[in-house]
Amino acid sequence: MGEPIIGCNMKPKKDGALREAVLEIYNFIGENLYLNRPDIEINGDKFNSTLLMSLLTGLCQGKELIIGEPGLGKTTSAEYICSLLYCFPLGTIWAGEVSGHPEQTEEKIIGRPDLGKLNQGEEVVVWSHFTMLPVKIVDEINRLPETKQSIILDGVDRGNWEYLNDAVMNREYCLFATANYQDRATHTMIAPLIDRFDLMVESKYPGPNLAYTIGAQSAKDDILRHGELEDEFKSVLNEKTPVGQRLERIAELRARFGEALMHTSGIRSLSDSERRTIRSRLEAVRFDLDANAFLRMVLAELSFCCRFGQKRSQDNCEKGCHFTEYLCYAVQTCISNRLPMSVRIFSQALAWLLGDKEVDLRHLKAILPYTLAHRIQWKEETIARQEREARSDPLEIHMAKKAVKNMHRRYMEQGTQVKNALAVACRIVEGEALEPIQGDHPIYWEISKDLGKELIQP
Amino acid sequence: MRNPFQEFQTVSFKKKNLPLSRIVRAKQDVMAHILEGYLNLVEAEAKDFVWLVEQSRVLKTYSEAVKYVQSLNYDQDDIEEFCGELDGSTKVPYVIEGPAGIYVSALVNQLSDDRVVLRLKDYQKKFHLLGYRLPVGKTLILQGDIGDFTGTGLAGGCLVVEGSAGNWCGAGMMQGEIRVAGTAGWKTGEWMKAGEIHVEGWIRGVGQNILGGRIYEQGKLVSPQHRGSQ
Repeated sequence: MGEPIIGCNMKPKKDGALREAVLEIYNFIGENLYLNRPDIEINGDKFNSTLLMSLLTGLCQGKELIIGEPGLGKTTSAEYICSLLYCFPLGTIWAGEVSGHPEQTEEKIIGRPDLGKLNQGEEVVVWSHFTMLPVKIVDEINRLPETKQSIILDGVDRGNWEYLNDAVMNREYCLFATANYQDRATHTMIAPLIDRFDLMVESKYPGPNLAYTIGAQSAKDDILRHGELEDEFKSVLNEKTPVGQRLERIAELRARFGEALMHTSGIRSLSDSERRTIRSRLEAVRFDLDANAFLRMVLAELSFCCRFGQKRSQDNCEKGCHFTEYLCYAVQTCISNRLPMSVRIFSQALAWLLGDKEVDLRHLKAILPYTLAHRIQWKEETIARQEREARSDPLEIHMAKKAVKNMHRRYMEQGTQVKNALAVACRIVEGEALEPIQGDHPIYWEISKDLGKELIQP
Repeated sequence: MRNPFQEFQTVSFKKKNLPLSRIVRAKQDVMAHILEGYLNLVEAEAKDFVWLVEQSRVLKTYSEAVKYVQSLNYDQDDIEEFCGELDGSTKVPYVIEGPAGIYVSALVNQLSDDRVVLRLKDYQKKFHLLGYRLPVGKTLILQGDIGDFTGTGLAGGCLVVEGSAGNWCGAGMMQGEIRVAGTAGWKTGEWMKAGEIHVEGWIRGVGQNILGGRIYEQGKLVSPQHRGSQ
């Protein structure tokens, strides 16, 4: 291992071997494989957002969209994370990757008929490595035309891959997709697909000094390569045995690769049971009341419409609406139910990683911009107002960060009253004769709606 | 239905009243009391069918008004708001202009502030009998044109009219000063005993029975007139 590189200052806390192992993986990649600057600070610790969010994606079986200019490490950062968290050599991960291009087909992505068997009148599917492996990387996903993006929609959502009359269900999987900025060769990503991603991050330029260092590194990928085992992985994956049997043999190979990795690089990968343990632990991390109330406020602002009942893409806000200062006036569509799911699991994962017992506002503030950036559809006038502002992030993430900052400010002003309103609502549902607390935020209106009481329109 | 607020069951809540709503409620209470006093006064005065500006009648009405007003806790804004209610609100079913002005004067005179400013220029109604018995040490500034009997019985205070005054301005004033930025009507200073009236514009007519004091029109003394100056 070389000298510490800027941005990898996170030291494992001595309160859990698994957490230490995960933080060691983060530091190992940050110091040796994916050199970049830290761009977020949480609780005094500095992180590189791409690496941190990718690590969390791998841990909690998430789905991440990595955007950025070509050659800035979008795909490689995902490959390193997948290799170390799931114990696969890089060669195997490359073999399972799907490239986005207009000629891509379902047969290349998911599976194809076994032609030999088909000639004998038997319908057998030859599943792709992409389908079978738990780590899935789709490179340049926005080069897939809109019609072909729906091929992977179901699999991305549920890990359920179907071809002919057969199906493979991934019990454990994570997905990383990379996307270049829009150019002539790219297509718009369809809304249902983009909503299925938990997070969006940008793999940024590391700066000329780190870029120089990257240029001077020779064969860094060799750390995660193992030619002999990669061949064995390939032959097992290509066997014509039931998928379950193949995956059992793959598990043995992964264990061998983990030992080899420990021996050659001194870095410990995670076993299947360790990842399961981590997931059960992070799912047990509770939200504190402030985080709970703040997330409700965020959801209220992104879904509320006092005139039409909720945000809908075809409805336009009235000029002079009372709620002009809230996000509901700046966005076009209603936020999906996948947002709170993404925010919950990733905030829990972050809190666990930092050794915190509960998810609090700091964790939420760190996670929210990345879960919102790709999901919010801003109105054109909102974009026009902000696109020329000075920033260090792509516009979507910049706008999401700004929105979260504003919502957090509102929560700091009204947090106590919002918690009171939720507490009163709880008692009303339980049968106490109380009046709902009213206030000047969509959350109070939504509470009243839940209690069956409509407020008068201001 | 599942309780979506269950996690907040343990929160011991305190219903917080917003300061604004508390202030509004307090203001509404004050105004209700002021209006109640006025309506009681009018009810007593309306028995006589016709209300004439007679010294004894005015005194009696003023004494009644002071009785109501003394127990109230109000400020300048409340007086101004009451004038607004008199001007066009449905809360005041009938306005008898004499008692209304006397009631406003009682409100002003009983207020602890030394300086009271009433912005009346936006109202349609002309208010009469304002500044009645304004006491020593108190300054009343009336913004806008006002009606008749302004500063009647002035008792040492300083009355400033930033507009024009009607007829009988300063009638029967005992001491103090009236300054009118605009014009004044007929019978200005009638029965005045002492004090000064300064009118920056013209005076339509000075009172015929002036017992004392001085009246100035555009800076020139018009009452008393020096011998030989006629």
